[in-house]
Amino acid sequence: MSAQRQASSASQTPHLSPAELSYLYTSLSLPNAPIRPDGRSATQFRPLAAETDVLPGANGSARVGFADGTQAIVGVKAEVEKTVLGSETTAAAAAPAGDNDGGEGQAPGHGHGHGSWVQMSIEIPGFRDDDALPVFLAEMMREPLVESVSDGSGKGSDGGLKERLVINRRWHWRLYIDVLLLSQPLSYPLPLLSLTTHLALLSTKLPKLKSQGEEDPFFDDDWNAAEYLYPRSATPLPKQQQVRPPVTLLVIAVGENVIFDPNREEIAVADTVLAVSVTRNDGADGLKLLSIRTVDPPSRLTQPGVPNAENAATGGAAAGGGATESGDVPGVWRPRRGGVKRSTIARMAKLVLQRGGVGEEVLEGLEGVQVG
Amino acid sequence: MKSLRRDFSSDPHAANVTSKVFVRSTKSGKVQKIVRELYLRQDIPCSSKLCSICPSIAPADASGNIAPFVLSESPAGTKAFPRGHYLVPDTNALLNGMDLFEHTGAFYDVVILQTVLEELKNQSLPLYNRLLSLIKTDEKRFYLFFNEFRLETHVRRGQDESINDRNDRAVRTVAKWYSEHLRAAAAKKGKKEKSLPAIVVITDDKENLRKAKDEGVTALSLSDYVAGLDDSDRLLDMINESREAREAKGARGELFYPEYYTMSKIMTNLRAGTLHQGVFNVSPYNYLEGSVKVAAFDKPLLILGRDNSNRAISGDVVVIEVLPKDQWKTPSTKIVDEEAVTKNDNPEGEDTEAVVTEREKKALQEEVRQAHGKSTEGKPQPTARVVGVVKRNWRQYVGTVDSGSTGSQAVSGRRQQTVFVLPMDKRVPKIRVRTRQAGDLLGQRILVTIDAWDRDSRYPSGHFVRSLGELETKGAETEALLLEYDVQYKPFPKSVLDCLPAEGHDWRVPASKDDLGWRGRRDLRDLLICSIDPPGCQDIDDALHARQLPNGNFEVGVHIADVSHFVKPNNAMDLEASLRGTTVYLVDKRIDMLPHLLGTDLCSLKPYVERYAFSVLWEMTPDAEVVSSDFTKSVIQSREAFSYEQAQKRIDDPSQTDDLTQSMRTLLRFSKILRQKRMDAGALNLASPEVRIEADNDEVGDPLTDVKTKSMLATNSLVEEFMLHANITVATKIFNTFSQTALLRRHATPPPQNFEELTNQLSKKRDMRLDVSSSGALADSLDRCTDAKNPFFNTLVRILATRCMTSAEYFCAGAHAEPEFRHYGLASPIYTHFTSPIRRYADLLVHRQLASAIGYEGEDGRATVQGVMTRNRLEDICRNINYRHRNAQFAGRASIEYYVGQALKARGEKVSANGVDGGIDEEGYVMRVFENGVVVFVPRFGIEGVVRLEDFVLPTDAGLRSVEERRELIVHRQSDFDNEEYTICVSDKGHPQKERSLTVELFQKVKVNVSSVKEQGGRGAGKRRVRILVLGGQ
Repeated sequence: MSAQRQASSASQTPHLSPAELSYLYTSLSLPNAPIRPDGRSATQFRPLAAETDVLPGANGSARVGFADGTQAIVGVKAEVEKTVLGSETTAAAAAPAGDNDGGEGQAPGHGHGHGSWVQMSIEIPGFRDDDALPVFLAEMMREPLVESVSDGSGKGSDGGLKERLVINRRWHWRLYIDVLLLSQPLSYPLPLLSLTTHLALLSTKLPKLKSQGEEDPFFDDDWNAAEYLYPRSATPLPKQQQVRPPVTLLVIAVGENVIFDPNREEIAVADTVLAVSVTRNDGADGLKLLSIRTVDPPSRLTQPGVPNAENAATGGAAAGGGATESGDVPGVWRPRRGGVKRSTIARMAKLVLQRGGVGEEVLEGLEGVQVG
Repeated sequence: MKSLRRDFSSDPHAANVTSKVFVRSTKSGKVQKIVRELYLRQDIPCSSKLCSICPSIAPADASGNIAPFVLSESPAGTKAFPRGHYLVPDTNALLNGMDLFEHTGAFYDVVILQTVLEELKNQSLPLYNRLLSLIKTDEKRFYLFFNEFRLETHVRRGQDESINDRNDRAVRTVAKWYSEHLRAAAAKKGKKEKSLPAIVVITDDKENLRKAKDEGVTALSLSDYVAGLDDSDRLLDMINESREAREAKGARGELFYPEYYTMSKIMTNLRAGTLHQGVFNVSPYNYLEGSVKVAAFDKPLLILGRDNSNRAISGDVVVIEVLPKDQWKTPSTKIVDEEAVTKNDNPEGEDTEAVVTEREKKALQEEVRQAHGKSTEGKPQPTARVVGVVKRNWRQYVGTVDSGSTGSQAVSGRRQQTVFVLPMDKRVPKIRVRTRQAGDLLGQRILVTIDAWDRDSRYPSGHFVRSLGELETKGAETEALLLEYDVQYKPFPKSVLDCLPAEGHDWRVPASKDDLGWRGRRDLRDLLICSIDPPGCQDIDDALHARQLPNGNFEVGVHIADVSHFVKPNNAMDLEASLRGTTVYLVDKRIDMLPHLLGTDLCSLKPYVERYAFSVLWEMTPDAEVVSSDFTKSVIQSREAFSYEQAQKRIDDPSQTDDLTQSMRTLLRFSKILRQKRMDAGALNLASPEVRIEADNDEVGDPLTDVKTKSMLATNSLVEEFMLHANITVATKIFNTFSQTALLRRHATPPPQNFEELTNQLSKKRDMRLDVSSSGALADSLDRCTDAKNPFFNTLVRILATRCMTSAEYFCAGAHAEPEFRHYGLASPIYTHFTSPIRRYADLLVHRQLASAIGYEGEDGRATVQGVMTRNRLEDICRNINYRHRNAQFAGRASIEYYVGQALKARGEKVSANGVDGGIDEEGYVMRVFENGVVVFVPRFGIEGVVRLEDFVLPTDAGLRSVEERRELIVHRQSDFDNEEYTICVSDKGHPQKERSLTVELFQKVKVNVSSVKEQGGRGAGKRRVRILVLGGQ
């Protein structure tokens, strides 16, 4: 039971004494200038090295290594698959191809893609593939990936991966994203895996389609002619306008401070842990927030216990008195109780999204990785 | 963020490894990225005899030998390259000039790059195969250089570099490497650089030529190079011009033909069932009418007109789309000959294409099905148009230059001009050929190939390959026949002859029974065996015997030449035989499947000598019921070789009472019983319009006496019955042993709708019924189709009925369900060919299978496994021998036809009075009636011919006989054609009176005049044909 709980939590709780935790918490929550154990600034990421196209047989791949030795490899494989038609599309597709389908070549209608076309599997050493952590992580990354659609605006649907996989009404690509963490997770692996996946998708190429419209797909056999799933910046488009796969960043709040790319110890004392997915959407200026998920910090996993005073079992008459329960003991960290302030979340999101903010910085950094 | 990039420069092995990446689309629709690692090597030799380096590094085989070097040390040169040269052609050069590379006068010492070979394979499989066989021959000194695997010549594709550019660069790299390599080799030897041959890249790519110049590589375009050779005029004609011409022409010119659909569109619609795929066939009577049989419908779909056939040539595998119902037509009742149709033969424009939706298209498929179901004469038939070509089955065509298309200055100048070549095969459109030797080619049989057929050209364009010789000379015409029917007629190569027994004609059956050759053989030398064959037969496949057993039953034996003893599987001789498939019999020539030594001597069951045989022995009751059957390899000694007539005489002669004659009488008696049993089972007695030519050329007599219709003697059917019986017995045996891979022969039951037209015609004209429900019923109803006044009528109906049937085919047992094995014509549930292994490859395979089935081990004990084959391989062989078999029949018939024509001509020259050939009057029968002519069959010569309106001799113009005079009549003639009654009434315009007209109907016996005429003037001048004039009804 406890092992499972650990698995689903942000990371294995480091074995730190309450005093150490308290020290950490205090340093991290210093107003405006948190002091992090490794000396980074609040928005600074750990140094990492990235490489793409490491797997020649895959459509796209990447390897990212943190300085602490954690490494991840992601491979993307694409397969052509026949679309199982929903009832509302059957009528249209019953009449496939025809003389006039040249004109029908317009982008497939909005909302034809399906989330299940992207399959993500994550392998983490020491975990079974049906353990909660890999499953949860996979879903946390897959969801923004396929759903990153600016619905409503109508035209800007390109951001969603699932729309990019549509070949025509009857055919689509299926993507298999295989994520492999090469080392024991020293910290919560989400940022590492997300960055690696992002790079792998950036380097992903799909064979060039030669057929048009509603015809059965037929591809160019020249791999050099294959096209990037996310077109590269050879176009004169300003960087800001290129669609990119989303990245999921791990952000914690400690006291009033917002800290990025936390390591294990920092997570242990976090008040809030958020996984924020952002992407750059075409047309739209700046970044787009795709999702925010809260991740339970380990502190939340320990039952703080109910004050005797409020304990019905003891009837408020237990020995000891309330002092130990309600009052903080200096030098001993106690997990915070209660929810997250709305303003804190807003601030965290803003730091990610704002122009010149962390989100852009990360995306730019990723863009700098040579692809191909 | 730090970006890592792997750096290979420090790794010394990195240069040796590279990879090749491409996308593969599988049949099931999967699309895969394929990465192949490539390990480069440095021991691939340059194969030049000049080189002193390569012999030391070239890889050696197990016994330490290296492959002999190919390229000569003193290659031929030209004026531009006096020191000689090695040629390095690129892919386009080979595509455009394969005929040149095959030419024996030039193009020696050629380096073929692996890159080029692979590219050629992708572009044209036939050319690829021709190149492979060129590389295999030693004389031409073609060397296949694996440049992609050699470190120095491997070229990595650059970023944004197209595949073509990369391959061009590979060619240049090789050329550069070769010259440097040879220089280095020469320097090592201390030789002068001056004497080294030049390395000449041959490419037609302008960009490649330019780059080569920049890089200091000698490069020439194909035509520039050829221009520097002797005899360049002739050689230049052999270059495929279409490519260049197209570039030069650009967008000029109207587009005659609609564009083909894209491949992906075709595939999608084929799967959806709105397009269909099939082989395009052109009607022999109307070159504008084609048909395509597709799997979806019972009957072929019609394709009318040039627009709809859209550049498809008979034999191509095409994709067609059914046309809307308002464009459905009845099959044409007109004879349309391309040569007869003058210039503008644009069929009525059907360009106004209605926009039809998918739904309508689907509905259309339904309509086709319905229309096919209840089709009767005269109803519009579904038509279709070609929208794509899946596979071109273009080959080399034999033809003649159309004299009308050559310019007036043709004879004088060496100027290049465009002429039309009329192919011998009427179903192939005329071919536009550019030539510098138009004058010389007039009146010659020439071989041309089609290179392309573009949208902006009404006719396909091609190029001249070679001349076969003067028209109407025996050599040229025979070769033309063989080429047209794809018969392998080249002499057997040395590798094949090497497989023959070393003793040659002195080979004997070993005297000692301890010899290996006797292992597993039964000694049947004491049996009274004889053979019965056509007169003069040299390749005696079969011999027979019969004798009474002590128990009152009879032992009957069929002994077949044991060819499989001499032809071991998979040696050169076996492969050659499997390629040839069958021996082809022409009137004056036999193209053997096996070398002469085997066919006419060692295998042939000649009389008085001991021979190896494969025997089938039955024990039969006196009523010819088989008690048991036995198969064995044996040694026999034939007592006598009879001709059919001799055998008949001997049997009929009561004074002959020796055992051999008695045994023949027994055989004859049994054969009659067997035949009756077969007939009772419903076997068909079919007829084909065959005549036999006895070419014992005495110059004096009437040449036409050589032409004889085949006569049937009782001894003919004696042999036939036992062969059939042996085949059936063997078929059962091998099928029991090899249920999946037995090689069998079947004759599919023809679908009843095949007979529809004939049934209709018979009931209309003669009130006769044809029952096609089974072969027995058909046989009975055919027997009833007689005309008391006209004994030939029955044969005529049989001939026509035969044409309604499918042809028999070889197949391997696993390919069909057992009920489908049936041989319709013979009414046998199972059948194969066993009895003629000398002239049919199928029989040879069956021999091996039977040997294996009876556990015969052979000399080396391997015979048991030799009969075993994989089904795939067997199916390939079946496909080939079926094809060869058909072609051999066609070639044989065409040969007879040609001979008859020649005999008529010879007779005409002898008998002609004042220069006009009177022809010979014969009986003919009307086989088909068209709107503007009839097809008449002349049994005496076994020929059928089209008779046009002008060739109907009316009482008014009986005096006019010459071709020109009759030609004049065309404009005056009119015809009254009754489609329902199959009659045509020919008269002069404005004179429809009965006494001035001639009415002909189907099946009618008519008086005809047959002669051989030469076309004079106009198109097709100088061509000889057999002309049939209809003189009147009888």
